[in-house]
Amino acid sequence: MARSAGVVLVACGVLAAALGLGGWVLASRADAPRPVGPAPKVAAPTGLAGQPGSWRHGRGIRIARPVRLVIPAIGVSTSLIRLGLTSARALQVPPSPAAAGWYTGSPRPGAVGSSVIAGHIDSRSGPGVFYRLRLLHRGQRVYVVRADHTVAVFRVTAVRIYPKDRFPRAAVYGPVPDAELRLITCGGLFDYATGSYLSNVVVYTVLIRHLNARS
Amino acid sequence: MLKTAFAGISRLLAPVVLALGLLGFAASAPASASGGSGWLRLAHLSPNTPAVDVYLYSFHNPNAMIVLHHVAYGTISGYEKVPSGVYTVAMRAAGASASSAPVLSTSIDVHAGVAYTVAGMGPNKGLRLQVLRDRLTTPRGKVLVRIIQASLSQHQVTVTAGHKVLVSELAFASVTGYKVVSPGTWSVRAVGETQRTTSVITLAAGTIHTIVVLDDPGHLKLDDLVDAAGSRVLPAGAPATGLGGTAPRPGPSPVLWLTLIGSGMLLVLGGATWARRPRGAHAVGSRRPPAVT
Repeated sequence: MARSAGVVLVACGVLAAALGLGGWVLASRADAPRPVGPAPKVAAPTGLAGQPGSWRHGRGIRIARPVRLVIPAIGVSTSLIRLGLTSARALQVPPSPAAAGWYTGSPRPGAVGSSVIAGHIDSRSGPGVFYRLRLLHRGQRVYVVRADHTVAVFRVTAVRIYPKDRFPRAAVYGPVPDAELRLITCGGLFDYATGSYLSNVVVYTVLIRHLNARS
Repeated sequence: MLKTAFAGISRLLAPVVLALGLLGFAASAPASASGGSGWLRLAHLSPNTPAVDVYLYSFHNPNAMIVLHHVAYGTISGYEKVPSGVYTVAMRAAGASASSAPVLSTSIDVHAGVAYTVAGMGPNKGLRLQVLRDRLTTPRGKVLVRIIQASLSQHQVTVTAGHKVLVSELAFASVTGYKVVSPGTWSVRAVGETQRTTSVITLAAGTIHTIVVLDDPGHLKLDDLVDAAGSRVLPAGAPATGLGGTAPRPGPSPVLWLTLIGSGMLLVLGGATWARRPRGAHAVGSRRPPAVT
């Protein structure tokens, strides 16, 4: 009787220890970053041969407002909403994690200056429009379709990650002499206490040409 | 023997040292993405000089990096981003062979993160290539404006924006410094000895402009160049563009699991001790006779 009670206790103990060990291992596995997975296939927008982006650019072309962003390398094809500033003068972010937005206080994409498009890396439950933004690398293409169906083609020149408390506002939003576009999202570690990522990912691109609308 | 061991170790360490060096390099790279490159644009601002071909050479490279054909008076290119270093700008008569001696040439040292305008200025007889350093930052919420006087028919020109005098009696082939102007849509007026012109020019906060006074047969003309543009208002802080749905989720603290493992081990120990206890000792624990059912 006593012996069997002892055996039951031992069995319970082994079970508890095994559960504890198993739980610990599983929990630490959940810490590992999730695999990003393949990007959806997206075709680059096409248009008729237009102006190159540099020497001959910028004189007397009217630049329409941006309506769509396409980045085939990371499977992004999204409409663009308009972003302003919050009451605290911070950059508004799109209400939907599935759409990116153009900051209306910045130059239009393709015009001279540093244009700004922001999008979410994720929602509370899953990937957002710029989930794969940090995977872009130099030389890859970014397309902005404008309201008049013309397309501005940009080339990635740099991908940077900055801690939020040292975000280089002047370098990201300040004046530049050529037509550049910056794509901004979050990245790095997520602070569950404040519900915010600790860093920002910024992709710098420069205009290489305009494509005219197909007639 | 010792020597080979050292060689082995240094062979093993070499990639580590290299990687550390690269990391150091990456960390010391400037915050701006323009690190290692500057910007150049070219202009033909000599009214009585016929069209030219403009060549840009990287220093010591005899093959032109860029050639702009048939650049006429009043033409100002957009900026080209170029690696920092020394360049030569040469002008040849339009259509002249690339191997012919240039009419004019100048060298320019492009610094990283700096923009330059190289302009053919002055009368044809005194044509020179002038290198201007262009500004890339504005005082907060303001506009910077500079004037180039490239009209030969009017020797001196006064330029105003609204009631503000930007420059008075600016001589032909000269350039002002940048002036701070409040943003807005301005009626910009250029007045010479016998000719005048007015243009409505929008100057947005955070932009830098060069306004060029040009001869248009019989009158004056203004060309408004955007030297650089950024956001009208620099947003505060860093954008909050993520809610954490794909972030690594920290599991509950391991304390819970460790407690479970610990108590399990205690149970095992306790159970084992109990099972090994002699029967007599057990009787002390229960004086009452077992209930009969």
